Amino acid sequence: MGTISSALSLTSQALDANQAALNVIANNVANANTPGYTVEAPNWQENSPIQISGVSNGDGATVTGATSQRSRVLLERLDQQQQLSSASGSRLAALNAIQALFTPDSGSASSAAGNIGSDVTGFFNSFSSLEANPTNSALREQALSSASTLAGDISNAAASLNQQRSGLDQDAVGIASQVNALTGAIAQLNQQIRSSSPNADAGTLEDQRQQDLSQLSQLIGINQITTENNGLSITTTSGQLLVSNGTTFQLTTGSVGGVTDFFVGSTDVTAQLASGGGSLGGVLTARDQDIPNVLASLDQMAYNVSTQTNALNNAGTDLAGDNGNAGDIFSAPTQVAGSAASMSVVMTDPNHIAAASLGQGTGDNSNAVAMANLASQLIVNGQTPSNFYSNFVTTLGSTVSNVGTENTAQNASVAQLQTQNNALSSVNLNDEASAMTTLERSYQAASQVFSMLNSIMASALNLGVQTSVS
Amino acid sequence: MRVDPNYVSNLAASLDQTQVSLQQLTSELSSGVRVTSLSTDPVAAGQNVLMLNQIQQDDSFTQSSSLVTGQLQVADSALGSVVSQLTQAISLATSANNGTMNASNVKSISSQIAGILSEVTTLANTSYQGQYIFAGGQTSAAPFSTSTATSPSVTTYSGDQNINYLQMPNGQQIQLNVPGNQIFMGSGSNSVFAALNSLVADYASGAVNTTQAVSDTQALNTALNYVSQQRVTIDNSITHLTAASDSVTSEKTQLTAAQTNLMQADVAKVSTQLSMAETQQTALEDVIAQLGSTSNSLFSKL
Repeated sequence: MGTISSALSLTSQALDANQAALNVIANNVANANTPGYTVEAPNWQENSPIQISGVSNGDGATVTGATSQRSRVLLERLDQQQQLSSASGSRLAALNAIQALFTPDSGSASSAAGNIGSDVTGFFNSFSSLEANPTNSALREQALSSASTLAGDISNAAASLNQQRSGLDQDAVGIASQVNALTGAIAQLNQQIRSSSPNADAGTLEDQRQQDLSQLSQLIGINQITTENNGLSITTTSGQLLVSNGTTFQLTTGSVGGVTDFFVGSTDVTAQLASGGGSLGGVLTARDQDIPNVLASLDQMAYNVSTQTNALNNAGTDLAGDNGNAGDIFSAPTQVAGSAASMSVVMTDPNHIAAASLGQGTGDNSNAVAMANLASQLIVNGQTPSNFYSNFVTTLGSTVSNVGTENTAQNASVAQLQTQNNALSSVNLNDEASAMTTLERSYQAASQVFSMLNSIMASALNLGVQTSVS
Repeated sequence: MRVDPNYVSNLAASLDQTQVSLQQLTSELSSGVRVTSLSTDPVAAGQNVLMLNQIQQDDSFTQSSSLVTGQLQVADSALGSVVSQLTQAISLATSANNGTMNASNVKSISSQIAGILSEVTTLANTSYQGQYIFAGGQTSAAPFSTSTATSPSVTTYSGDQNINYLQMPNGQQIQLNVPGNQIFMGSGSNSVFAALNSLVADYASGAVNTTQAVSDTQALNTALNYVSQQRVTIDNSITHLTAASDSVTSEKTQLTAAQTNLMQADVAKVSTQLSMAETQQTALEDVIAQLGSTSNSLFSKL
């Protein structure tokens, strides 16, 4: 009798176990599209056999919960790659906005509008034209108007760059507050995981923590350090602690030199964050490196063209009879930095353009020749203005193109790691369907065994009389 | 083997990529421009700046040269008239010098030469677009004026020695003017005005000092040759300018062709790429439609 009862209890355990396993499958299917959900597999465990009269009797199986199918190494790789790809992605977006200010002039009149390269040439050419007839007021007007075009386009470009820079600054502040929210959430999860599951995978809580980590990786470059009791410490890539188990160290902001700097405690981590990765890294690189570089080039151009032209104009004789004091054409810049933004034409009367050399008659054109010759002299950083602009656009274009290539490669690598991780951790409905069928069948089998054991038991109870107990 | 169950969403990402390249190709086709942003081809963008710089300079030179050609031609034709006036003055003086004329005829020759003198002065004060072209740099005032206070009268030059040059894009310079005193008031016996003034004075009384008059006539002859020499400078500039303008125009044509080559889209190539991208897009959409349908799930077979 003992053996039939134990067989009955064994099958009822099997039914329970199958139900528990089906429950895991149902949960998987329910969460098939939940972001961050990691597929779970039921944990089947063979019960310890029972020794009866020296014979080992099997004691069935139980399902002891479920295990998330997760590879933390893979996830960390994915996070790291995500940080690189986010950094180059956000830097690329900023660079694309920068290079939109310097769209190449394809040669048509419409594409020449606003092109600084054409403006520079046009400006010096207007003095070449003045050589032909130095007293002609139309040609003089032309020289002033091309000076205004040049100054206007350079100062507009500088103003747009400064706007983009403050836009990026605001973006960075926004990102930092998201980072703080996420590190706070991770610290909380650390505490919950520590109390609920210090030694094993924490399942859903771990899902949430990994989800937060992957979001954090899009924003900022981080290192993950696993600590005791399934805790997690997070530092920036350069080692500044952000989360230590249940404690967070918030990023704070402060204005330094006209831009926002980021602090942990009292340490300025802006430069570390810029090189660290994540979209914050990309935004800060664009803000602190790319835009200042472009602005510096424009400043060089504006400063040298302005000062050289002014100097020559003040060294000649104009139509109004000024000898050596004809006045500035451009507002005189005091220093290189900022001269692009402040570039403007201060001369209003074209008669003050000094086309003649000092002391010569107004019909002399040699000062106009000298001004036109500035176009072929090495006046901007040891280069002619056109060569300087040409090198500038090549450098900017190459930077954008390089960052673009880098971003494409990193995105591909992220996609590959994502695929690997999905293969392991996301819910495959076909797998679930087949597992469900299998479990259903084994449930049916267990029920069948139960029903057979039931009729055996009835036979035993009736001691051979078929009809007494059914 | 484990597979990524989210392959359909990966395909959707590929579809996005295809659309980006379709967009880029379409914009190349519609604008005809290959290098729409610096990063498309940074080197080409840099070269483009230099080429356009050269093209613009060539353009500007062509315009300037047509402006100054006008001025040089006016100068040349003025000097041509001076030469013929002087030739006439010489033949008048020669006829007065042969001693066969009576006093009134000689006086009439004096006044004819005086007429020629004033004509030559007018020619020497020729202006172009309001600027006196034989005044050196002092182009705002007529450079030559004659004072009759003394006999012979004295013509003075109020211009200067300034010479203007037009610079070619390659740096070469073309002379644009010859100062008036160099043409009309050369040193020694090369001065047109001195010779003319002397002749007017020689014949004014009707009595001819033949020795003096012959020597003054010779001086005028020398001065005439000198003017012709100076005229050559202007003719040379016109020739030089025409040649330079032609060569700059042809350089511009070549540069424009090269620049177009560099920056413009190759329509045949872009169209081919576009059609390939379209095919890929259609294929991807079909694959997504097939794989994405619910009948592919094992659940639908249970």
